[in-house]
Amino acid sequence: MSVQPDVSPQPMSQNEEDVRVIEAAALPTRFARGWHCLGLAESFRDGKPHEIQAFGTKLVVFQGEDDGELHVLNAYCPHMGGNLAHGTVKGNAVACPFHDWRWSGNGKCAGIPYARRVPPRAKTRAWPTLERNKQLYVWNDPEGSKPTDDVTIPEIEGIHGPDAGEWSDWSWHYLRVDNSNCREIVDNVVDMAHFYYVHYAFPEYFKNVFDGHVATQYMESSPRPDIDLGTLSASGGLRSDASYYGPSYMIDKLWADVGGGLEMESVLINCHYPIDENSFMLMYGAIVKKLPGMTDEQAEQAAQATSEGLAVGFEQDVEIWKNKTRIDNPLLTEEDGPVYQLRRWYEQFYVDAADVKDEMVRRFEFEIDTTRANEAWRAEAEANIAARKAAEAQIAAGSGS
Amino acid sequence: MRAVECGACGNQVLCEKFSPAHTQVQWTDEAAEVCPRIREKVAAGELSARVRSCGELRDSIDAAVASGLLEVGGA
Repeated sequence: MSVQPDVSPQPMSQNEEDVRVIEAAALPTRFARGWHCLGLAESFRDGKPHEIQAFGTKLVVFQGEDDGELHVLNAYCPHMGGNLAHGTVKGNAVACPFHDWRWSGNGKCAGIPYARRVPPRAKTRAWPTLERNKQLYVWNDPEGSKPTDDVTIPEIEGIHGPDAGEWSDWSWHYLRVDNSNCREIVDNVVDMAHFYYVHYAFPEYFKNVFDGHVATQYMESSPRPDIDLGTLSASGGLRSDASYYGPSYMIDKLWADVGGGLEMESVLINCHYPIDENSFMLMYGAIVKKLPGMTDEQAEQAAQATSEGLAVGFEQDVEIWKNKTRIDNPLLTEEDGPVYQLRRWYEQFYVDAADVKDEMVRRFEFEIDTTRANEAWRAEAEANIAARKAAEAQIAAGSGS
Repeated sequence: MRAVECGACGNQVLCEKFSPAHTQVQWTDEAAEVCPRIREKVAAGELSARVRSCGELRDSIDAAVASGLLEVGGA
């Protein structure tokens, strides 16, 4: 049963047929097929099991003491339902705090110290994992298929390439979003106009390409002069080239004009995993390429400043999401991006692999004409500045008399 | 949306233009197979999704607008 958007009663005189009614079907009952980032791999390497609430259940992440690998299993022990994330790592297995049943990274029961023999079907669900870009990913597939190479998470050159030494480490942040389905954040891929209103930038060039399991947003923007965010990224023009690889992991390459003919290159990650159908864990992080003469410390500070700038942006998004309603039939103008085509692309991750239709994965390109919008926004920003100056002048005149 | 044929390779795509600067392109086949330019990049290890556009196709769309085959702002 869907939650109906709150629609106030219409005045009697109003013709119902003239009113646009928001439609919202029930939230999807399954979770997207694909790789989902769980965070920085290093954060799971402290010898302890970690609990992750995801995909409507709980998972345990642990590092094998001998193999050094990160493993992901269902958190609940198939014996009596104990929570393995509250247990301990013993060798290459995680031990349940309830009766010390041991579970290997491949899901097999590795031993039950008090029992003469291990039951023949003692196997729990092991989730496929991938460690790359210093991050840990887990594969979700409601049909239980293994991940294929064509949908893998790409390597980020600043992490693994020959010039990896020129890049800072990851700054990394978590933001839990409640009362919101993760489709909201994916919608941002096409949402040109929200970059002005929510993120205080003029999006001057905006193009989307959807093809296969990848959805890309190319954007060139400059900061609004009437708003001072006090963040590094807001100081000059910005080129952004951002792709979702699968349903939840976006790599955003950024080139920021930092003055003096210098461009600061950075890579942002915007990713999430669903906690349940109506909440998700949003994570974001940044690495920056050292500018000539920059020390390691300065690069870390720049990465930190970049992700603090991101934090402001995401918090503004979250404020919108937690107060908005889900809407399946958005009412669009020519200046809005291709929301319907994006959702058609996103749908491929919510149907069985055999039911993925050509239309969901066929290449689609959409370049927005941003002229009209930016003319209106420039005028508005200038009016805001003029109004502020007039107010300041008035205060100055008042205090001077 | 109107069918536009690429002058370079003959592949057909569906196009719509709300204005001179706006362009919508719906491919009806696997881009990496039917477009030689995208195919070349895929052969070099790039994902077809990561190719921003095909220059030849863009030129063909501009030509379709110039010849009146593709109406700008038309339904």
